[in-house]
Amino acid sequence: MPASDAQPPQPLPEPRRSQLANGAGIVEIDLPEAPVVCLDLWCRAGSAWESAEQSGIAHFLEHMVFKGSEQLAAGEFDLKVEALGGNSNAATGFDDVHYHVLMPPEAAPEALDLLLDLVLKPRLEHDDFNLERQVVLEELAQSEDQPEEVAFQELLRLACPDHAYGKPILGRREALEAHTPASMADFHQRHYRAERCCLAAAGPLADLNLVSRLAASPLAELPRAEAIPPLQPLQLQPGRTRLELPRLEAARLLMAWQLPGAADQDTVMGGDLLTTLLAEGRRSRLVEQLRERLRLVESIDLDLNVLESGCLVLLEAVCEAERIDQVEQEVRRVLLELQEPLPSEAELERARRLVGNGYRFSLEVAGSVAAMVGNSQLWGRHHSLQQPLTWLQHWDPGRLSRELIPLLHPDRAFSLQAVPA
Amino acid sequence: MKRRQLPGGCPLWLIERPGPAILSAKLWLRGGSSADAPGRRGEAQLLAGVLSRGCGDLSGDALADLVEGCGAGLRCEAAEDGTLISLKCASGDAAQLLPLLLKMVNQPWLLDDQVSLERQLNLQTLQRQREDPFQLAHDQLRRLLYGTGPYGHDPLGLDEELAQIGVEHLRQRAAGFGQDGAVLVLAGQIPAAVEELLLQGLDASSWPCRAPQRAAGPVGSGRSAFATSNDDTEQLVLMLGASTTPLGAEQALALRLLHCHLGVGMSSRLFVALREEHGLAYDVGVHYPARLGDAPFVFHLSSSSDRAAEATGELLREWQRLLEQPISQEELELALAKFRGQEALGRQTSSQIADRHALVLGHGLPFDFADRCLAEAATLTPADLQAAAQSLLAHPSLSLCGPADALQQAEAVWQRQGFSC
Repeated sequence: MPASDAQPPQPLPEPRRSQLANGAGIVEIDLPEAPVVCLDLWCRAGSAWESAEQSGIAHFLEHMVFKGSEQLAAGEFDLKVEALGGNSNAATGFDDVHYHVLMPPEAAPEALDLLLDLVLKPRLEHDDFNLERQVVLEELAQSEDQPEEVAFQELLRLACPDHAYGKPILGRREALEAHTPASMADFHQRHYRAERCCLAAAGPLADLNLVSRLAASPLAELPRAEAIPPLQPLQLQPGRTRLELPRLEAARLLMAWQLPGAADQDTVMGGDLLTTLLAEGRRSRLVEQLRERLRLVESIDLDLNVLESGCLVLLEAVCEAERIDQVEQEVRRVLLELQEPLPSEAELERARRLVGNGYRFSLEVAGSVAAMVGNSQLWGRHHSLQQPLTWLQHWDPGRLSRELIPLLHPDRAFSLQAVPA
Repeated sequence: MKRRQLPGGCPLWLIERPGPAILSAKLWLRGGSSADAPGRRGEAQLLAGVLSRGCGDLSGDALADLVEGCGAGLRCEAAEDGTLISLKCASGDAAQLLPLLLKMVNQPWLLDDQVSLERQLNLQTLQRQREDPFQLAHDQLRRLLYGTGPYGHDPLGLDEELAQIGVEHLRQRAAGFGQDGAVLVLAGQIPAAVEELLLQGLDASSWPCRAPQRAAGPVGSGRSAFATSNDDTEQLVLMLGASTTPLGAEQALALRLLHCHLGVGMSSRLFVALREEHGLAYDVGVHYPARLGDAPFVFHLSSSSDRAAEATGELLREWQRLLEQPISQEELELALAKFRGQEALGRQTSSQIADRHALVLGHGLPFDFADRCLAEAATLTPADLQAAAQSLLAHPSLSLCGPADALQQAEAVWQRQGFSC
């Protein structure tokens, strides 16, 4: 393959990192050409920090935040942000939660003040709480009407027993019905603390003076956290099961493996390479064998979910119910063939180019840059934007085969067959 | 921005952008699923799917090796009004990849074996989609609004007709590429001598085609109708919609502002009324795609089946309100801010820029159409928006998917509160 870099690659912008006196993190990336600024507030307050009774409270809190704060009435934040030509959203994961706004650059200072007030000083008003609980229960019902989501939830429950990653982020219905504004305020006060929060900004930042602005903001007033036990390490249980699901039209083979946690970003890049080599594009091993040659599946995907307690590799193959055993055997065979001999350098180079370009393409958007550096900063990872591309180059067939391929052995997977009832 | 013309007549637009070394190319060919002949619904999508399975001197495998080996993305997809070929790559690889675009259109292999694989995959996708209640409600609404007309089917087609489409049909269809109009837009870092690259490897030194013209598109039924689909789900899915008017038509911009008012962002009317005030839904919004013909304008909502009557009543009330009351000046200004904000957010990446221009030019509209709309939108009044609603939204249809008792409750409300035929 001829070299792609005919012209010298442009250097990537560097993240500027700082910290407020109370330990809250700040990271900025100046993208002078971008048409919008993204402000992204991250907090170590995903569902993995819930106790059993708190099931679903991290995500429910994320909803309640938009119902107003000390200074903002319910809905006022959205109205102000959107009237300035921006938009906002939030997402709750297992490990963390983040709240982000995209704004025209001139409106970014105002949006910053609004965002911090909103997230750090939520009102949690009683009537709004009861109404929003209905919305969360509707969200749960909507996901239960998608049999594919039901199957994935069941896979995680069985593969990650006694771990937060095996429990639904949306929560259990009975637990949701028992939550109160007071129990939610407790969760907020415990987890939305200085060293557990960080603010990321990406876009044209020249006029924002972010650090001095934040020093006089509610982020600087946050108390430090009490001692909170760290997340429990993940121990994925291999196994097999079969499930009959109503309303399923096509069968699914789902499989889950564990890789090292997100702290090891070098290995995360290796995992990205390996899943790409196996299932990204027509010439990847699983797609070529199962979809193109044997024609057993409609689609086959392998996703790397980057998580703090242990990354999860999830496979999904969609096929006719009567072919599902054959599909499982073929997946096994492809994975066993990967164990030896070594993959070729050319095969690895294809994957490297796909992963590298995917990463470079994602840097075009302020929102994805802010999310990337915000998440890294939150978890104490301080590498440059260039670093993942360097790590990528250091994976060769031998190292991949020694360090990662054995972890994707079929016997290390939990495998679930979901078939129409 | 430069405007050129390829030998044979295809307009070529070059949008140079500073920044990352990325190139995005979009080739828009008039004639999508709406041009599928009766009895061969699904043909445009099937053809699009096999274009990348071999062309010119490259077999399907060789083509995939080239594209994936560069870490590039290449997609061919049919929508209602056109077929779109999209390429995204590192600009250093553009010289190798750009020649593929016209080769795929002019010299596709269309091998029987590859056609039957692609047909099988599409049939399986159609089957899998039937497990999604939103898809069921949406397909049913299409039939209410467009009957068996050109917009009456999903681009994937109908099972029994798709199964009948053979290689000869695809050959005839491919021979017509460009005759109804085509346009090519490149955005990002554009290589020198780009026309030569695009024509490289063609048999002739030109590709006969013409620029897309303004032309009348498919029409809707214009009548009010009602349909249900019985499914054993937790929620009832409601879709309330009408067929309206083409992109660029007289009242289309007023409808676009109504779309912003009703369905864009968390301060939008439907979000506030149905989710924030009543807790009736998690997901609620408006679907209003750009179309050459009478575009659908659709409210969508899913709500627990035990609240079916309330949800139906509220949704119908919101539609009725559009016909009866003008929105306030304040609401209009908010809608305008959202319209401008969406335009800015939709111009972040080379792909987004190329995509938006290809769509507009493919509709036979001027290159600066979006800017003209921004200027014109500022001159519209609440009365203009109400007049558009009265002339285009007076006879909506309701499509429901859910359990039997919820359907009954919803139907009773429709009978009482619905719209005359």
